[in-house]
Amino acid sequence: MAAPSIEVRLYAAARQAARRSSVRIGAPPGGLAAADLVRTLARRFPDLAPVLRVSRYVRNDRTLTDLRTRVRPGDRFSVHPPYGGG
Amino acid sequence: MTPPIRLTRRPLSVAAAVRALSGPDLGGVAVFAGRVRPDARPGGRVVAIDYEADARFARRRLAEIERIARARYGAGQVVLWHRVGRVRVGEIAVVTGAACPHRAKAFAAARYLIEELKRTVPIWKTERARRGRPPRRRPSRRTGPSAG
Repeated sequence: MAAPSIEVRLYAAARQAARRSSVRIGAPPGGLAAADLVRTLARRFPDLAPVLRVSRYVRNDRTLTDLRTRVRPGDRFSVHPPYGGG
Repeated sequence: MTPPIRLTRRPLSVAAAVRALSGPDLGGVAVFAGRVRPDARPGGRVVAIDYEADARFARRRLAEIERIARARYGAGQVVLWHRVGRVRVGEIAVVTGAACPHRAKAFAAARYLIEELKRTVPIWKTERARRGRPPRRRPSRRTGPSAG
């Protein structure tokens, strides 16, 4: 059985910086704080770090306002760089 | 019936939006359309914009914007339409509009729709410039998007 992990979806500048559209980050069954997840992403993909600093984070279709929020295996977690519609 | 919310690879039509913004008591109809501009960029003149979206979350946000426009401005009909994929210069990338009983609320609602879409809906653009040709003029001082 695969170890618990969180799938992170990367869009636009985040995808370009990491050179992939999604990545799996290992996590304990109880999850981890969004801030820790973001730090792990920055360590694994140094080019992504500057994009992460200006991005919003979305968990299960809700924008996070508190990075202490826990993200658990099975959650949908997305990195949203600044929007540019219109 | 034309849906109020669309994320589509197909061309958008202002005429279709006006048709969708109809109702017996809706005397004020305001529509905004954003078209891709051929701005000069260091890599050449823009020939298209590629739009991508977090479609699931974008639809959720658009539905919330629609709900607020109806409640706050009394809009009887709303359109929030955006292209995804490649949109060439001259094509319409976005159409927003509202139909209200009177013009003041229709204008206010239409403005709310486009501003809120740009600010809160997860849609991103990548400009595509003509390769190998320098821009014919200095880069535009405009720092905003090439559409709208």
